Amino acid sequence: VFTPKAAALFVLAGSGLFFYFRWEKQRLQEQKQKEMESRSVGRAHVGGSFEMTTHDGKPFTDKDLLGKWSLIYFGFTNCPDICPEELDKMSAAVTELDKSFGPIVQPIFISVDPARDTLPQMARYVSDFHPRLIGLAGDYATTKATCKAYRVYFSTPPGTKPGDDYLVDHSIFFYFMDPDGNFVDAFGKSSTEVDVVERVKREIEEWKAGKGRLA
Amino acid sequence: MAWFTSSSSKPENNTNSSFREDRSKCWEARDAYFTCLDAAEVVVAGTEGSKCAAARKVYEQNCAKSWIDYFNQRRVLAEKQKPLLAQAATQAAQARRP
Repeated sequence: VFTPKAAALFVLAGSGLFFYFRWEKQRLQEQKQKEMESRSVGRAHVGGSFEMTTHDGKPFTDKDLLGKWSLIYFGFTNCPDICPEELDKMSAAVTELDKSFGPIVQPIFISVDPARDTLPQMARYVSDFHPRLIGLAGDYATTKATCKAYRVYFSTPPGTKPGDDYLVDHSIFFYFMDPDGNFVDAFGKSSTEVDVVERVKREIEEWKAGKGRLA
Repeated sequence: MAWFTSSSSKPENNTNSSFREDRSKCWEARDAYFTCLDAAEVVVAGTEGSKCAAARKVYEQNCAKSWIDYFNQRRVLAEKQKPLLAQAATQAAQARRP
């Protein structure tokens, strides 16, 4: 029976549902937006498995990246100025991040010059930078495979000898990887230390918000 | 043999200094030489004749040949880019004017 009371109830229910659905739609849209911004969407497939040796002579594979945030720079010890500058920038950023989070960011230097970058050479080279900087090297095949996984271009030909004097052309980036070993972002020559620190901080905090831990 | 790979590419055979010190020495020598070239208004290193001979000698003693070639080439490139950069700066300034 269509009474004024029934009509009022109908209108109330109708408007209630209208507002509820509007609110729910808004909420879903916000969630979708957040998901789009989040880690899993739109990230390049950079990285992969590799096996190299640290400057201390220990084996180091992609599995050793797990559980820590990593900043990986590819270069060579006979580099005139760009590699030292980038490594200084990376070291300064890690020092700054250590202050906020403790030692959860691992700086890594991978050599693209297998003929000349022997382990003692690497050890001597990394001692100039952040105390936790790990130097990684391997033979030519390993170097080539690792660079391919990280999409790093390098120009060292296979036949070079340790005494040769040459420069290696290589892409100048350092790669930021998360504790699951996945690629997050790359920093080029134009990124400043502040840019790096802010980007890493933001990512760590997002991770913490989602997982309740820092790494 | 592996221990001296760094020094074999540089005339400086000093394994007591750190790489950072070796690099600094080279950069300082390079800067001194280039300052001299700037004063002589020479861009291409090696074309200045007998000027800056002393600075050049120090430069060649402290830096690996591959580094010398690299720095010299970069100097030429930087000079070539100067007008472009100046133009970009003027354009940027003009764009900012309301």
